[in-house]
Amino acid sequence: MDHSEVMDITIIGGGPVGLFTAFYAGLRQTSVKIIESLPHLGGQLSALYPEKYIYDIAGFPKVGAQQLVDQLIEQMNQFETTICLGESVEEVEKGDNGIFKLTTNEGVHYTRTIIITAGNGAFQARKMNIIGEDKFQNTNLHYFVNNMNQFKDKKVVLFGGGDSAVDWALMLEPIAEKVTLVHRRDKFRAHEHSVELLRQSKVDIVTPYVPVELIGDEKIEGVIIQETKNSEQLELEVDDVLVNYGFVSSLGPIKSWDLEIDKNSIVVNSKMETNIEGIYAAGDICTYDGKVKLIASGFGEAPVAVSNAKVYIDPTAKVQPLHSTSVMGEQETNKKKDQVSV
Amino acid sequence: MATYTMVDRSTCIACGACNPNAPDLFEYTEDGLSYALLDGNEGTTEVPEDLIEDLEDAIDGCPTDSIKMADTPFNCQKVEAS
Repeated sequence: MDHSEVMDITIIGGGPVGLFTAFYAGLRQTSVKIIESLPHLGGQLSALYPEKYIYDIAGFPKVGAQQLVDQLIEQMNQFETTICLGESVEEVEKGDNGIFKLTTNEGVHYTRTIIITAGNGAFQARKMNIIGEDKFQNTNLHYFVNNMNQFKDKKVVLFGGGDSAVDWALMLEPIAEKVTLVHRRDKFRAHEHSVELLRQSKVDIVTPYVPVELIGDEKIEGVIIQETKNSEQLELEVDDVLVNYGFVSSLGPIKSWDLEIDKNSIVVNSKMETNIEGIYAAGDICTYDGKVKLIASGFGEAPVAVSNAKVYIDPTAKVQPLHSTSVMGEQETNKKKDQVSV
Repeated sequence: MATYTMVDRSTCIACGACNPNAPDLFEYTEDGLSYALLDGNEGTTEVPEDLIEDLEDAIDGCPTDSIKMADTPFNCQKVEAS
């Protein structure tokens, strides 16, 4: 992907507020990009509680967290948005021309403004913290399943005991040659129904064991696991190792960007501006007098941040946007005209 | 060995992950932040042996590592439950 294009707005964090910010940036006819640390959009909602219901979103008496994310993505997709997944921001530098250079763990991005909607910081997969873990991260040690078929006819050892660990085991069972699920206790935290399906499946369940060491040269060839009570050790032969230990979040390098920070939140004014001109913040990551940390209030802050960023980029633009009915109505009319002319 | 627990409420993000893992150990105040149920988050009451595994699950599931466990009491300020 060519990252040399200078975007009008780059959003850091693809959670619910980031997604709505991207939609609103599209509505205000700015070019927009989202940078998200996880390999999927949705933030906390998708990572921590996809099946929980949320009751305080305007217009939705009750909405599933993942359903809300799906709806936000659909809404955002009415406009073109560049999405960069699995990238964590590291440094920001403002050039003499006012363009920000954003460095991530994957590359460099250029943007006129930045809106930080990073919630409680970047989510990373929780690691096992065992010998050999760092060595194999680019080979056959995985923290996410991006493509099920990469495990076709493989011997997969999976660590974890929650819902997604059990779900992954069940999804891989018909594809992989063998799936072994290792958990440190006999009881699984997953839904009873999933656990029942697991016990009926061909998945080899090994409990109560914990991983001790990953063995191999170029890639992992074996995993040593240890019984939690009597310390008996076993070696499992593997083609791939999957770890599902949940997530950890932290504000990370953003803390060193010279932004005004108050108790892990970025201080903004009523325009959602931070102390650095051209950088805005919205959602749980920002704070101001009277701030309420809710998705609902983040949804209100998003258009404020976008509209003020729009004026920063183009001083002739108005902060007050047209009503969405007018903007979208015009877009629909133009679409129909294009269809007729084709 | 005795085990004690408390929640660091300055880093808790009110995500709601701990109570389903350990319903007898963690509850939330009205702002959604978690606290240890046994002693109002003072961290001075021994965690019963049969709840240790639930506690470990809650620690594993906490995305901000806010749930603390130790073999000596914490002596934190008591949280008034709502």
